[in-house]
Amino acid sequence: MRVLVVEDDTALAEQLAHSLEAAGYAVDRADNGEDALHLGGTEPYDAVVLDLGLPVLDGLTVLKRWRADGVTVPVLVLTARNSWTERVEGIDAGADDYLGKPFHMEEVVARIRGLIRRASGQPSPELTHGPVRLDTRTGRVTLNGVPVKLTAHEFRVLSYLMHHPGRIVSKAELTEHIYAQDFDRDSNTIEVFVGRLRRKLGDGVVETVRGAGYRLDGT
Amino acid sequence: MRPPLLHLAMPRSLRARLLIGAGLWLAVAMAGSWLALTALFRDHLQQQVEATLATHLDQLLANLDFPADGPPTVRPLSDPRFAKPFSGLYWQIDRPDEPLRSRSLWDVALPLPQDHPGSGELHRHEILGPRDRPLLVVERIVQPPSGDPLRVAVAADRAELDRPAEQFGHALAASLAMVAAGILAAALAQVTLGLRPLGRLGAALARMRRGAAQRIEGTWPTEVQPLVGDFNAVLDHDAAVVARARTQAGNLAHALKTPLSVLRNRMQAADPALRSAVLEDIETMRRHVDHHLARARAAARTVGGSRTPVRARLSSLARVATLAHPDRAVSVTVQADDALLAPVEVQDFDEIAGNLLDNAVKWAGGAIRAAAESRDGGFVLTIEDDGPGLPVAARDRVFARGERLDEQTPGSGLGLAIVRDVVELYGGGVALDAGALGGLRVTVRLPDAA
Repeated sequence: MRVLVVEDDTALAEQLAHSLEAAGYAVDRADNGEDALHLGGTEPYDAVVLDLGLPVLDGLTVLKRWRADGVTVPVLVLTARNSWTERVEGIDAGADDYLGKPFHMEEVVARIRGLIRRASGQPSPELTHGPVRLDTRTGRVTLNGVPVKLTAHEFRVLSYLMHHPGRIVSKAELTEHIYAQDFDRDSNTIEVFVGRLRRKLGDGVVETVRGAGYRLDGT
Repeated sequence: MRPPLLHLAMPRSLRARLLIGAGLWLAVAMAGSWLALTALFRDHLQQQVEATLATHLDQLLANLDFPADGPPTVRPLSDPRFAKPFSGLYWQIDRPDEPLRSRSLWDVALPLPQDHPGSGELHRHEILGPRDRPLLVVERIVQPPSGDPLRVAVAADRAELDRPAEQFGHALAASLAMVAAGILAAALAQVTLGLRPLGRLGAALARMRRGAAQRIEGTWPTEVQPLVGDFNAVLDHDAAVVARARTQAGNLAHALKTPLSVLRNRMQAADPALRSAVLEDIETMRRHVDHHLARARAAARTVGGSRTPVRARLSSLARVATLAHPDRAVSVTVQADDALLAPVEVQDFDEIAGNLLDNAVKWAGGAIRAAAESRDGGFVLTIEDDGPGLPVAARDRVFARGERLDEQTPGSGLGLAIVRDVVELYGGGVALDAGALGGLRVTVRLPDAA
């Protein structure tokens, strides 16, 4: 799962990125509206944290342009003004959620989790697939109730697949959603991660669809 | 600087001033005309009467005989009034011994003033004649063939002159009064017509204050257009100042609250005792910033009466408020006419209704009703929920800044305090009671902009 953090304050942007990475997300950052507009329009993010007070291009304009261009990524708006008019404007411009500064970092992470989950049509915060259970609130994975330890990349692959059950996900798509932009990507590593997941969770969980990609086994 | 007395005497209505002015100069002009015309007429009349008297005098002289053996005699004159006693037409010839008089004079002598006109000159006098009637007299000195010169005088009652002059004066006064009335009516029409743009301007201003218009629109006479233009410029400037003030307040909040966010997150790594103390401080600072920001926003109001479409705005706010609490399954019913407008600016309406809806969503069991209507010349907004309600004793406390009755429910406790601040800025009030749904009912009353 890949998230874009748009915040012009360097310290806050670092903290946001750090917290989201700790929660298992690949994070890209933009510190002005123009970069944000470009990144959000070209990269397939699973969610965006968008500060409204941005240099070059303000956040509301960026959001409206995304929506006008058909970008449907869930957006969590951050703002210091915290007025109701701004909230209505934000929601009307296409924001999915809203958080006033100063906020609790856990709140941002929780809201982002919720947004991603709802955007992929999952009603429950606990994603279940056969014996595998992923709690989006804690990021904990269990197999038959027994905790399983996963690396960050393994978690992202599993999380992405569990958010889209029954759908064939290509290697390219997985690559785009588990790596941050500046990461040295290699689609072969996806096979490595899937192999490790099969070893930890059992062979039957992730099914390979030849020539197309991966799918959670329809059990 | 105008003298204060004049200032006090001036009526406040422009129309009254113009009409009083017109009335004053009309009165002066009419009185002057009347005096001049009657004097002219009287002069003319007097000349006529005197010319008639001169004719009578000539006739009298022609009928005057000087027999060689006795006193002069007068043959009767043609005008019968000379023969009728006190008829108003008289003649008299003064002689040293016994004067000759017309029969009309009976036994009265005309008291001619001492005078020495040259021979042949006509002289005029005004004297009191028989029965104290004023008389006009024309006299002449005549030298008989022998003896002393004679004073020959013919007199007529001045009523000959006064009566027609008086009649003319009355008739003239009546016609001048009619002319004056006509002119006054015309002036009234002109003033009314001329001042009509001012009435229209007043109506346009009232429409603007009511919020039906943002500026003064339309075409105006050249004398009024600059005023309208300047006024619109002031309105635009005012709106710009307000917008700038709001932006500045927002920027200040941004500048303060972003570092507060950073600070809060940095504290995660700190010693627990220090952390809880600093987090508390941060919370206090945030509350203050929010409070003063909301006040600054609400205080920066434009002069023009602003109007907010209630129904659409309530629906948007309800959507935002429910979105902020995704874990609460609450439905909001909005009851308001599509055309209903609230007498406040959009931002202020949002702060009022937004905070109330937010509270309602936090406390409601599942249903919230937001209703608005125009009532008793004001605007009434009620928001009620089916939650647990609020005990009577606690109702005053929730308005206190930062007061929160249940620490378990997230929120700053600031909501109702801000609502009351904003409502009071508009001269309205907030009341809490128990609603029909079983929970708390908040009623906001706002007066219509005067």
